[in-house]
Amino acid sequence: MKVNGVAIDDTFAEAFGMSATGLVITADSMKWARIAAETMCGFGTSVIGCGAECGIDCEVAPAETPDGRPGIRVLIFGFSPDALLPQLRNRVGQCVLTSPGSACYNGLVSDKTLALSAGPRFFGDGWQTSKRLGSHRYWRVPVMDGEFVIEDKCGLTTDGVGGGNLLLIGTDRAGLLETTEAAVEAITKVPDVITPFPGGIVRSGSKVGSKYKGAVASTNDAFCPTLRGATKSELAPGTISVLEIVIDGLTSKAVADAMRAGLTAATAIGTSKGLTRISAGNYGGKLGQHHYHLKDLVA
Amino acid sequence: MSGLTLRLRAPLVERIDLSGITPHAAVAQDVDALRRTVVANGSRAVTLGDVYFVSGTPGDHLEIEGSARADGLGAGMNGGTMTVEGDAGDDAARGMRKGRLEIRGRAGVHLASGMKGGLVVVSGDAGDLLGAARPGERFGLSGGTVLVGGDSGQRTGDRMRRGTILIRGMAGPAAGSRMMGGTIWTERGFRAGPGPLLRRGTLIGPSVEHLLPTFTDCGWHDMVVLRLLSRYMTATLGSLAPPPLPEKVRRFAGDLATIGKGEILLTV
Repeated sequence: MKVNGVAIDDTFAEAFGMSATGLVITADSMKWARIAAETMCGFGTSVIGCGAECGIDCEVAPAETPDGRPGIRVLIFGFSPDALLPQLRNRVGQCVLTSPGSACYNGLVSDKTLALSAGPRFFGDGWQTSKRLGSHRYWRVPVMDGEFVIEDKCGLTTDGVGGGNLLLIGTDRAGLLETTEAAVEAITKVPDVITPFPGGIVRSGSKVGSKYKGAVASTNDAFCPTLRGATKSELAPGTISVLEIVIDGLTSKAVADAMRAGLTAATAIGTSKGLTRISAGNYGGKLGQHHYHLKDLVA
Repeated sequence: MSGLTLRLRAPLVERIDLSGITPHAAVAQDVDALRRTVVANGSRAVTLGDVYFVSGTPGDHLEIEGSARADGLGAGMNGGTMTVEGDAGDDAARGMRKGRLEIRGRAGVHLASGMKGGLVVVSGDAGDLLGAARPGERFGLSGGTVLVGGDSGQRTGDRMRRGTILIRGMAGPAAGSRMMGGTIWTERGFRAGPGPLLRRGTLIGPSVEHLLPTFTDCGWHDMVVLRLLSRYMTATLGSLAPPPLPEKVRRFAGDLATIGKGEILLTV
């Protein structure tokens, strides 16, 4: 299939069920809310090596945040609730609690919850106090610029999806990056999803396993342009760059919507900046519960 | 909206106990059974039908003519709305869990004692021990919101655990005594000695007649939690909500005669 001159592979992205939570981080200004959120999401690209996949979902207007200040919604994905909890505590404790003027609230309405404050609140060394307002309980932790306010619990979903993906393949490295950036930009407008890698883009797609003991993943040689001819390559002559967008979402529909948005944005640019083909990564369909067929998303 | 209306046959000459006469309790039984409910046990048993004309159909709303001799109005409410036309006696909204109780008059002592949820709106003054624990009880108000249009009596919120009390007028002497949590917010200030043996919890107001020496001045601060409180009050009370708190308040920590994790926040 071709859309605006771009070949769309007859394949699918294979994604996995994950646990996830959402937070709203506020501060005196959007600048500082974003600093806290970005710091918290640092080193949060892949559960394989980082323990969690984290990213910014969206900005939250002051009228929509619990304390009426500018906010950022962050999503965090992990293998399980048990794996998510220590990541949540450490990231909030080290990166949000420490950020000037910050406060941290639940950003996901759900019957299932995680103990968001268990950990950070004990920084108060006994001076922490709680304030229950309606059904919400907040902790006030004295810190050097006033008080750090953190909600007691945050919502948890075990219906999250991690690993939705698109592979953008092209003949112009700089042009392909611009096209991929446009796709990521379109994906950021879809609610309830993140693209956890740097700038939303992965240049080092991986395959499962390695020739080396202890390495659980290694370079996806079939998609490395410099190995074309030396390995069983998936790339056509002239291809010099492949960039991947990995998408995590709170629901399967959100991931599908995000992939659709990325595909639409990329194919709208077409071949003008070197994009020749769009594919997706999978493991033969045997590992992940969620399959997103590209042909269903470009219709 | 269906509901019952209760009108006094004559001004009350003795105290009656209306605990349990709530919208949901009325729905659970027929009107005749409701009329036979005993509301006073003196030299003879007095039933609801003896003192009130009962009309209408049991539903989500109950309207009742009040009296300073009618105790327990709205006590045990677990949903629906109840309007009291006139004053309420003692123990109104005691043990209330859900719903909305509106008293278009004054309320007696122990309003909202042991209340765990819901909303109480009193247009006039409230008596002593608003939201306080009864003798032998561990906690006073444990949840929900109480709005008093006038002043409150002494020891408002004694042993209060959670919830919010908003007083449009002044809070009486020793407000927040032995309080363990929650918020008392007065728009006109506190009478003498708020917060004796205050352990935790927040007292907010523009002034204090006399501050106990066991409170210490922590200075002026911009506190995020007050933004949460202002927004919560707006969400809960709508047009009845007070104006948002100022950006900075003066914090006094105490009572240092006990663990001292409570606070008095002065808004002016």
